[in-house]
Amino acid sequence: MTKKAGPLFYIFLVVFVFFVMFPFLWVLLSSIKPLSELFGDKAFQWFTSHPTLKSYISVFVNYPFLRYLWNSTVVATITTVYTVFVAAFAAYAIARLEFRGKTVILGLVLAVSMFPQIATISPIYMFVKKFGLTNSYLGLIIPYTTFALPLSIWLLVTFFRKIPFDLEEAAKIDGATPMQTYFKVILPLAVPGVFTTSILVFIAAWNEFLFALTINTAEKYKTVPVGIAMFQGQYTIPWGEISAATVIVTIPLVIMVLLFQRRIVSGLTSGSVKE
Amino acid sequence: MRNEKRMERILGYSLVAPALLLILAIAIWPVIQSFYYSLFDYRLNDPRKSSIHLNYSLDLEGYLQNYPFLQSALKQELATAEGTVKETLAEVEQKLTDMDAAIRKDEQVAKQYDQVNEALDNFETPSEEVKIVELDEQTAKQLISTVDSAVQTLKQIHQDGGLKQPDKVVGLAEGLTGVVIEPNFVGLKHYKDNFSDPRLWKALWNTTFFTVVSVAVELVLGLAIALLINKAFFGRGLVRATILVPWAIPTAVSALMWKFLYDGQNGIVAKYFENIGLVDRMGDLLTTEAGAMFAVIFADVWKTTPYMALLLLAGLQTIPSSLYEAASIDGATKWQQFVKVTLPLLKSSILVALLFRTLDAFRVFDLIFVLTGGGPANSTETISILAYKVMFSQTNFGNGSALAVIVFICVAIISMIYIKWLGKDLLSDSASAKR
Repeated sequence: MTKKAGPLFYIFLVVFVFFVMFPFLWVLLSSIKPLSELFGDKAFQWFTSHPTLKSYISVFVNYPFLRYLWNSTVVATITTVYTVFVAAFAAYAIARLEFRGKTVILGLVLAVSMFPQIATISPIYMFVKKFGLTNSYLGLIIPYTTFALPLSIWLLVTFFRKIPFDLEEAAKIDGATPMQTYFKVILPLAVPGVFTTSILVFIAAWNEFLFALTINTAEKYKTVPVGIAMFQGQYTIPWGEISAATVIVTIPLVIMVLLFQRRIVSGLTSGSVKE
Repeated sequence: MRNEKRMERILGYSLVAPALLLILAIAIWPVIQSFYYSLFDYRLNDPRKSSIHLNYSLDLEGYLQNYPFLQSALKQELATAEGTVKETLAEVEQKLTDMDAAIRKDEQVAKQYDQVNEALDNFETPSEEVKIVELDEQTAKQLISTVDSAVQTLKQIHQDGGLKQPDKVVGLAEGLTGVVIEPNFVGLKHYKDNFSDPRLWKALWNTTFFTVVSVAVELVLGLAIALLINKAFFGRGLVRATILVPWAIPTAVSALMWKFLYDGQNGIVAKYFENIGLVDRMGDLLTTEAGAMFAVIFADVWKTTPYMALLLLAGLQTIPSSLYEAASIDGATKWQQFVKVTLPLLKSSILVALLFRTLDAFRVFDLIFVLTGGGPANSTETISILAYKVMFSQTNFGNGSALAVIVFICVAIISMIYIKWLGKDLLSDSASAKR
């Protein structure tokens, strides 16, 4: 497409970006307001004349927010590393090797990725309870397999398929075994795809809510989404702290998205577009 | 050559096996189990229903904490009783003794009976496995009827004033009434109950309404945005990043953020909506039924339209520009180009995007759970929220699992419809095609 973008287009763009970012902007502005300006008449003023970091300090002092961040990081990282590792072999086989039933297997993977979480929660809850895994990292990592593994396999298959087959043929002629081909030829070329898959799986695990809500109920093992959602008390909602916490979790995401936007988009759209 | 093919096949299966086993164990098996649970009256808050029983069993701990003491209490009564009362009491005592003998006839029961007795004598708590023992149906029913008639008789004697220690005797006899654990298999009862419960239909309707409206709005808006930004312009990366942020933040966090913006007293979005006349009063957004549904859909549209736009944009970029050039040479208007070129070529992208979004929307949980909790008056309660509430607030795992299975079946039907539309496109093995 070589259509030229006119000034009207840029105005549209600015309005669009503003609408998308407005909630964040407002939360950011609210997070530096003193508590008294979050309510009443001043609640609708855009800028405060008394900016303060009290809410940010309170998030770390009055809530185990650092602990939540750590829990989410541990759970999401381990889930990502282990599922991508297992999925890489399966995806290689599905994308590259000839054997019967691979379409069925891929169909199964896709079907499982569509499973509603609620349909698996009661047996999984009873399972983790029986083995004393409630309120532990493992208690979340195991159930996270249900969505992380199909997602990894699905994405990796599309990435593996994009690698030219000639390379493999050449390796075969040179006498490489399939495993050698995999480690020496395919895997190095698949690194970008593996990386993209890891980002998407990490985000999915980081954002998961239902399992985290039901399985890890102790303060010490809550993850970020559940932790923030439970900031609300019975009668009062600490909006200042919630705004600050939202800003704290959003900023790293914004940086990550800025750095890896190309990869994320390629991951999100792979499988949905036939090239 | 044939050998090589076989090697490749074996390697293929062994590479796929670990992933497949994990999926079977952690995703497919639980769904099957959910269905199994849904056939039982399975409640975590009721000790006698907190596990699944296909057969009758006996709680030996409860039995042995009552039975021996009841016998000795009866003997004391017998020593002082007279006339017909004595006869009746003797009869009750005999029946109970026979019943006890009948229970202990079974070898397994007798063994555990002694183990539990010993544990109780030593003031220990017997373990779960030892204290529950399976009974055959006949003995179990005999036990229940004997205990019931004994309780009746003793109460009668008590009313006639024939007992010295009425509270003790009757209390111990009543303690025996709960010791038989009946099978809690209920078949399809949960499904029948649910389908005649207006709350389920309301939840199904809410879910469908939410799904259809939000996905439709997201598709139209997403397509419009994708068409508009499908060109080279300055700051493309930045726009793309902006688009990704709402998608990337945890839904629970964005729901809480919207709760703040929608707040009836201090919410800026609620204020603006009131100013432009979208709602009558700020408070209406989260406290009226229509307002809450609108609020939930609006928040969902905000979060996922950008994602939809990205999927469609990727599809648009695969359409060769030569097609548009050819169309414009033939004198096609912009609209004709859109209808005749863009839409047909975008069809599979649109369907895939719709499939993923429809399923996501149908399963919606986090957004509504945090934003409205399903309220006000269950007006935003979707089927996943209902299932969660039944399972974890009412701890009724049997009925909750039935609801979860209903969600599963709905999702399966939706995906089958889409996949039929999409044909084999989605799964087609492009690897072998390229070969």
